[in-house]
Amino acid sequence: MSLIPFRTKRSSGMEGGNLTTLADFRHEMNRLFEGFFSRPTAFVPGWLEPTEPGQWMPAIDLSESGTQIRVRAELPGIDPKDVDVSVSGDRLMISGEKKSCTEESGEGWSHCESHSGAFSRAIPLPESVDPAKVTARYDKGVLMVELTKSPSSTSRKVPVLTK
Amino acid sequence: MTTSAMKTAERPAAAPTEAETTLTYQPNVDICDCGREVLIVADIPGAHTDGIDVSFEDGVLSLHARVPARELPGRAVRQEYGIGSYRRSFRLGDDFDASQITASYRHGLLTIHVPRLPAVRPRKVEVRAG
Repeated sequence: MSLIPFRTKRSSGMEGGNLTTLADFRHEMNRLFEGFFSRPTAFVPGWLEPTEPGQWMPAIDLSESGTQIRVRAELPGIDPKDVDVSVSGDRLMISGEKKSCTEESGEGWSHCESHSGAFSRAIPLPESVDPAKVTARYDKGVLMVELTKSPSSTSRKVPVLTK
Repeated sequence: MTTSAMKTAERPAAAPTEAETTLTYQPNVDICDCGREVLIVADIPGAHTDGIDVSFEDGVLSLHARVPARELPGRAVRQEYGIGSYRRSFRLGDDFDASQITASYRHGLLTIHVPRLPAVRPRKVEVRAG
C-alpha cells in the first residue's frame, strides 16, 4: 500500500496543509503498526487499494457469524444522505462525500485534520450475500452494514448417504 | 489564531486513570479562530455524551471521550480500528471565558465553542471622515 495521503482537498494555508499531512501520516502509521503486530491479514493484497484515485478511504471492521456479515465504518460528521452503500455479488461498496470544514463554515479555519472530500471503498466479502437482505444504519458517526449470506453460499451440512 | 493556540499541549492536562487499560487515541480536529470564539470540532465516532469530558484549566482545553467497546459479534475477519478512548489537549491561553464554554455532540462530531473574554475580542474601529 501507499503512504501517500488519500486526500486531495486541503486547506489552502501552508501550515494547515502540513499539519493535515502529518495527521494523515500519524493515523496511517498507527494503523500499519497495529495491523502488523496483531493482524497479519492486514497485508493481504487488494484490501487497501482505493477504488478511485484521489479519494480517501474509510477504515473498516468486518465480522462474520452464521449467516450474517457485519461491516462497520467510522464516518464522523457526514450527513447520512451523503453515504451510498451498494452490494454486488461478494463485494460491498461504501462511498460518499464529506464537506471540508472550510467549505462548510467559511473563513477562520486554520487547522483541518479531519478527512474531507469524496471517499469510497470496495470491500471484498468472505462470501456472496443476498442483495435484498442488506441493512445500513448510521448512528453517532458510525456506519453499520449488516448483510445476509446468499443461500447458495451458506454452509450446509451434507449428509453422507450409504447404499 | 496565534501559533500557540494551535499547538497541541505537550502533555495531557490530566493523566489517564488507572482504570484505563485500553489504548488512547488523539482524535482528528478542525480548529477555527472565529474572532469572538475558537471553535474546535473533533472526530469522536461512537461515543455517548455522558462519556465525554471537556475541561479548561490554566489556559489548556482538554477533551477525553470514552468509547464503548467496538467489537462486532462473530468472528473478526478484518479489524482496522483500535479499541480505546480519545484524549487531546490544546493550549489556548488565558484570554477565554471558561464559564461560557459549550460543547455539543452530533453525528460523531464533538463541537466545542470557546468564547474569548469580551475585553480581548477583536473590535473593528470605525474611521470617521474629518
